[in-house]
Amino acid sequence: MSITKVAAQPNTVGGAPPKRRRITRKIPVLVWIFLAVPAAIEAAWVFWPAVNSFVLSTEKWNGAGAPLSIGFKNYSDLFSDDIFRQALRNNVIWAIGFGLFSVAGGLGLAVALNRTRRGVGLYRSAIYLPMVFSLAVTGLFWRLLYQPDGAVNTTLDGLGLGSWATQWLANPDTAIYAVLVAAVWRQVGYVMVLYLAGLKGCDPTLDDAGAVDGASPWQRFWRITMPQLRGVNMVVFAVTVIDSLRTFDIVWTMTGGGPYHSSELLSTYMFQQAFTSLNLGYASAIAVVIFVIAIGFILTYLVRTSRQED
Amino acid sequence: MTTIHNISRRKLFQGAAAIAGASLLSGCVSSGSATGGTSATASLTLQSSLSDPDPKAALEALVKSYTKTPVTLNTVAIESFRAQLPTYLNSSAPPDALTWYAGSVARDYASKGYLLDLSDLWASSGSLAKFSPALKSLSTAADGKQIFVPTSYYWWGVFYRKSMFKKWGVEVPTTWDEFLAVCKKISGQNVAPLTMGTGSTAWVASGWFDYLDLRVNGAAFHRDLLAGKKQFDSPEVKNVMAEYNKLLPYVDPKGRSYSWQDAATPLMQGKAGMYLIGAFITSVAPADVLDDIDFFRVPIIDAKLPVAEEAPTDGYFASAKTANPAATKEFLSYLASATSQQTYIQTSKSSNLPTSPDVDTTKFTPLVQKGVEMLNKTDEITQFFNRDSSDALQTTADTALTKFLDKPADVNAILGDWQKAAAKVFASA
Repeated sequence: MSITKVAAQPNTVGGAPPKRRRITRKIPVLVWIFLAVPAAIEAAWVFWPAVNSFVLSTEKWNGAGAPLSIGFKNYSDLFSDDIFRQALRNNVIWAIGFGLFSVAGGLGLAVALNRTRRGVGLYRSAIYLPMVFSLAVTGLFWRLLYQPDGAVNTTLDGLGLGSWATQWLANPDTAIYAVLVAAVWRQVGYVMVLYLAGLKGCDPTLDDAGAVDGASPWQRFWRITMPQLRGVNMVVFAVTVIDSLRTFDIVWTMTGGGPYHSSELLSTYMFQQAFTSLNLGYASAIAVVIFVIAIGFILTYLVRTSRQED
Repeated sequence: MTTIHNISRRKLFQGAAAIAGASLLSGCVSSGSATGGTSATASLTLQSSLSDPDPKAALEALVKSYTKTPVTLNTVAIESFRAQLPTYLNSSAPPDALTWYAGSVARDYASKGYLLDLSDLWASSGSLAKFSPALKSLSTAADGKQIFVPTSYYWWGVFYRKSMFKKWGVEVPTTWDEFLAVCKKISGQNVAPLTMGTGSTAWVASGWFDYLDLRVNGAAFHRDLLAGKKQFDSPEVKNVMAEYNKLLPYVDPKGRSYSWQDAATPLMQGKAGMYLIGAFITSVAPADVLDDIDFFRVPIIDAKLPVAEEAPTDGYFASAKTANPAATKEFLSYLASATSQQTYIQTSKSSNLPTSPDVDTTKFTPLVQKGVEMLNKTDEITQFFNRDSSDALQTTADTALTKFLDKPADVNAILGDWQKAAAKVFASA
């Protein structure tokens, strides 16, 4: 029914109305319905709980009884909370370390393995393999490696570096970095695959022409290949930022935020406040902070991409 | 037919409420109970946190052989169970019966009116009449009503291997000084005297804290401390930490990377001497070592204090909003009966002790019988740090005690921080 109506419309409109208006009029009702259903689901299951989380962050609630409205006390408490500040610091360390090492490592591996040699596929699969495991499994696996008598310390001993051996996950100075290594180990393969795909899209003749003109491999990489990877860079940037902000499982399985909160991230602290201590209002305030940070990154990213496209 | 329609419409509304749920949490729970609770009058729902394979199978078998009322058993992993417990009890169609611990959490819920009054089960004609007075007082809320049905408990002790003690030439110590001397002698043979898995299970460190507080300050002080009536930076607690400090040179430092299970391995292999832990340690003991394992009570420090032991008690409570209180109470009586307890303890392969005096314990292992005997001779029973306070307070203890293990010299600063964190927990409760 709606289709016949729409088909008749262009004739009745006539003249030369603005292009945009004609497009909106052309959209059949059925399409609006199809759009409305997911929009309603999204609103009910994503936006509504998210809005509630904002409301909850101004309340004191332990899951039972009526929540008590306390204004912005949760937020003012947050900034005098040493554990929260430690978690925020760790999140910065994490974002920088995770971003830097996984991108540098992934790019390096992609360039190294972007050649047709015998067995190169085997290397690529081997490096991508960790991505197949869930973060929880990765965490358990690395926890074994980091045990006091585990592979890491045994290897250090074998190399004559026995004095470097420590209880990686139980030492507050090393715990967060030890977990970071495990997370990067997993992420590198993913970034490598993204860059490999990007490198396949580069025009090899440009590189050859540069070589003929006497450009060094280093110059060719930075001046010829990198500019062509701009699109992939944006994807990698977005993926890495999002992955680093939502990090939870690997820290939770490896250290649980310990020892004594030294490897706490905002996400693990939020989980602990919400589901162990049942401070749901306080935990929601932490969630709002995570949201603000994430939206900050995403907005900058969107603004930058839209500028580049213009 | 009409009733069925009514109910399904109610469930439909609950589903809608779940979608528009006031929070993520309540969303989960409303939908959870919508699937769990079927017709309220015709059947019961038991919400269980026993998700380990053996206890789960044992409870399933018990529920299956209960014929008076159909019972639906919902097993939820303990972490989510703990987080959702207030919401379970608070929802419009709560589970009728729930597994949980005796102690402060249950009393807290009772004071909010969430729990069914089970006093008639404890009355002289009730099914729990013969349970010990200690268990009764443990199951009693602030208003004097009983709200809990204890079905099993376990003891804590210093576990060791008999053959290893013989090999090292040490005897079971009975006084605190003897205990420290044993530690010293064992450490002289290149064996870690004490193992303690405080890595992923930091709460293990609270075991020694609880016991030393019980031995130095007594059970009354310990309960007050955990209820927020005493300070963690008080001189009494400093005395406790002074005794704790004497143990630190003997604690295997590798335990800081271990879980409680991992830390049991050196004990089983004879590479560590002793382990203060709950009787559940037998569940990780290899079959050939099991008979070699024995325990002794934590030695007395101040003989003037009444002897106290930790005996965490598990069991059930019921929701005040259950649609069928009579059937729920009958079901709880069944779960607490001597035969049910015996079946449960045997099929779940645990070292738990029965709470019913009618259970025939002669068939239990000598170790379990020794545990029963120790608890029978005890003046005061406490639960464990988190059960006597709250899981929120437990996280403050985990932080303070693991830090203390690393930096014992900072004890005063650590206790000060602990008191601040604890005050925050009590303020938010």
